[in-house]
Amino acid sequence: MAKTIDQHFDNLRGTRVWRSIFRSGTGSSPLKRALAIQQNVFLHLFSTKVRTRMLSFSATWYLGTLTLGTFLILVATGIPLMFYYHPSVPQAYADTKDLQFVVSSGLFLRNLHRWSAHAMVFLVFAHMFKVFYRGAYRAPREFNWVIGVILLLMTLLLSYTGYLLPWDQLAYWAITVGSNIASAVPVMGEKIHFLLLGGNAVNANALLRFYVLHCMILPLAAMFFVAIHFWRIRKDGGLYSHASEPATVRARTDTGAPLPKEGQ
Amino acid sequence: MKEQLTSLWQRLFGDSVRAFGVVSLIFLGSLAIAPAKNFFSEWRHYQRGYLKMVRNRSDANTLQRHFHGGIQQIWLPELGVVDRCTSCHVGLKESSLTDVPVQPYRTHPVIPHKLDQFGCTMCHRGQGAATTVSEAHSSTLAWEQPILPAKYIESSCGECHRAPLPGTPQLNQGRSLLSREGCVHCHTVKLSDGSVMKATDDPPSLSHIADKTTREWIFAWLKDPQAYATTSTMPNFKLSDDDARDISAFLIANSTPVPGDTATLSAKASPDPAAGTSLYGESFCASCHAVQNAAGNMVGGDVGPELTRVGSKVKPEWLQAWLRNPRAYDPGTAMPHYRFNDSQVATLSGFLSTKTDSDLLANVHLADATPEQVAHGKRLVADYGCASCHEIAGIKKPENFAPELSRIGSKPVTQLVFLPGMQHTLPDYIATKIKQPRSFGQGLKMPQYTFTPAQIDSLTTSLLSLNERSNTLPPSLEVAATPESDYQPAGKAGKLMTDLACFSCHRINGHGGDMAPDLTWEGSSVQRAWLVDFLKNPGTLRPALIRRMPRFNLTDGEVNELTDYIMTVYQSPAVDRDSMPLSGYSQGQVELGRQLFYGKYACQGCHIVDSKTDKGYIGPTLTQVGSRLTAAWIYQWMKNPQALRPGTTEPNRAMGDEDAQALTAFLISQKGGAKKEVAKK
Repeated sequence: MAKTIDQHFDNLRGTRVWRSIFRSGTGSSPLKRALAIQQNVFLHLFSTKVRTRMLSFSATWYLGTLTLGTFLILVATGIPLMFYYHPSVPQAYADTKDLQFVVSSGLFLRNLHRWSAHAMVFLVFAHMFKVFYRGAYRAPREFNWVIGVILLLMTLLLSYTGYLLPWDQLAYWAITVGSNIASAVPVMGEKIHFLLLGGNAVNANALLRFYVLHCMILPLAAMFFVAIHFWRIRKDGGLYSHASEPATVRARTDTGAPLPKEGQ
Repeated sequence: MKEQLTSLWQRLFGDSVRAFGVVSLIFLGSLAIAPAKNFFSEWRHYQRGYLKMVRNRSDANTLQRHFHGGIQQIWLPELGVVDRCTSCHVGLKESSLTDVPVQPYRTHPVIPHKLDQFGCTMCHRGQGAATTVSEAHSSTLAWEQPILPAKYIESSCGECHRAPLPGTPQLNQGRSLLSREGCVHCHTVKLSDGSVMKATDDPPSLSHIADKTTREWIFAWLKDPQAYATTSTMPNFKLSDDDARDISAFLIANSTPVPGDTATLSAKASPDPAAGTSLYGESFCASCHAVQNAAGNMVGGDVGPELTRVGSKVKPEWLQAWLRNPRAYDPGTAMPHYRFNDSQVATLSGFLSTKTDSDLLANVHLADATPEQVAHGKRLVADYGCASCHEIAGIKKPENFAPELSRIGSKPVTQLVFLPGMQHTLPDYIATKIKQPRSFGQGLKMPQYTFTPAQIDSLTTSLLSLNERSNTLPPSLEVAATPESDYQPAGKAGKLMTDLACFSCHRINGHGGDMAPDLTWEGSSVQRAWLVDFLKNPGTLRPALIRRMPRFNLTDGEVNELTDYIMTVYQSPAVDRDSMPLSGYSQGQVELGRQLFYGKYACQGCHIVDSKTDKGYIGPTLTQVGSRLTAAWIYQWMKNPQALRPGTTEPNRAMGDEDAQALTAFLISQKGGAKKEVAKK
């Protein structure tokens, strides 16, 4: 049966429509397969070649991919949630209650969004620990580690801004406490606090601000950095595995010696 | 074990097709969660239960036809109401379901409002948008307004209805307690029209208290006001002996004398030992003042202070000066100025002085006050806000002495401090705060009141009605109260009426008490000769009532002044008292009236015309009505009593002109003559 499916795919790849879209041509020669990756706007972020061993579960525990998966779920559930939600006081609370009690599968949608958000935070941390303990943050991947830290920040900010949107007591006080922590910053703390909330207290302006941040600015920024993150994997020589590093790099990283400078 | 797990893994995810299949199944399963949760939702469960219950009833068809499945909702945008309560409470509008023992299927009790016009949460609170029992009824992390306990439900009526309603006795009592117990002296309560709730308890001025009583009595009173008078509205401040000593020292030192309070009377009291009792009775002192009898019951009214132990309190010279003219000591008192002669004053003060309690001051021994004690007493008086209620010379009435209560019914639970073991709800907090104000912490100043549990419930109800909604109600929904007018009669007669404190009992033009009849249209309703006689020697119109108009010993000049004023000023535009004659009706008409009286309208159920046969004690006796009321008034009264006196218990019989005329003829022929009803109590 597996064979038959493969054959169907082969037939599909031979059609004119397919060929007009994917122009790398048929065939499974290394060149063709490399071209298929290279010439695709989405896939060109990835390495054209990946070691089979790196695709096994034990190599990465798929933590990065799972994080991306939860992010996609969040986008997919977030958009329908936006259909039912007005970022205004007190309508916001009524809308979440409508989602909970009368919208068909509204509660499922909300819960899926909520649990995916929790899962994403967990997975981001797990991903970073895995990268850290395996030493995958080391040269030449330092920059991608920094991008990763930015993405961690994005994830936390997305969680934080989303927390206010139900506009219930929990949300209100959580954001009140959270924004007061920001005002503890020396010198400009009060300014940050004011900027964050659009006022001196959590009110309609803060809700609108958090909504725009949560639904537009932060997701777009996250996508931007995710793209860089993936692209850097390719540029840094694919997924990290100690054995797969070039011998010279391996020797240097083992002894802690600095990377060779340009031209050396 | 490990092998088993490996083989299971292989079987499920061994190759890509298997893995795809298994993951798809898991995905489908998780997608099924949402419709399954919907199917097993609480409201569907209750709707199925309803249909099952209805099936076996005789009126099953009707009920099933009325039933609409799915989520039901009452949406009132202008009130912000989205109530889905009727999704589970399916039978609220089915009048036949009164016999169902428990909610959610029982009929709603009959109320004056339509459910569709007000929704549920307007009265019951709770979260209307929710469709699960716990979210709708209880407070949650997100929603702190749970269902209002049934015993406080009348508070919701008070959000819109500012005036007392016949159906809300608890709310009415609570509101009147707020005024009567003096709560609003310290706590500001703003009303929707911008005014503030006014206290009606009239606490005495303490500026001349040394004339009236002794320092020992003040000490005993401060320590426990209810030991002197159980009906006292003065709360217990739980003062220490030293504090009570110093406050009493300050009050005595601060007091200034009123001329005449110390004058001794030359007249002697009547030698008859029963004279005091009978004068006390004849003057109808008990209409306002109560005395505890041997059985412990209060006998008398609650307008003035209780007199059970008055002899232990007041100085005899002051009492005599007070009885002679109370307005000299307190110009604003509700007590009328009886025109007692010196002998009567001596008799009555002698009688009152015998009302003592030897235990009250037995253990009070106070040394002379030192200046430090007086100064400390003054500080205490300021600290406890005594001047919020009492006028005290040299101490300003504090502004906003206690927290404002205008929106106490919406106070967020997160801002409340609860005692251990208390339910964390606003009604419980308010009730406990009234019951034991000092238990919430050290240094709290609110004194201890002696409210009964029913009074605490009433007060809580009235306070819960002061909330966010009552303050922001659309004007179209508000049912305003008629505010107490500040009507004051003018001229010499006006002064006389103030002196006699007519307004303590009577109401005129929206001002005054409710113990006695409203006199706004008195000039249209009564005949001059009767009024003159009545003022000189008030008889009883309603034999069933104990409280009666006292005799003020007025001079002829005063009677004429009052009568002229009443007859001229208090006239109704609807009744021209000279439009119908007081006599000259045909015998036929009188006879027809008699038949209507005893037959068609059965007036003898409430009134007495023939004192031998009639037994009606609810309305006024009519044996002499022909010499009391004007014919025009009787005629208009027959046609529509409520138009002349709103709220009267006399039913509106929608009488035709002919019937009204005949009854007027019959009643005006009742000239009485014999005085025996007057003598009857």
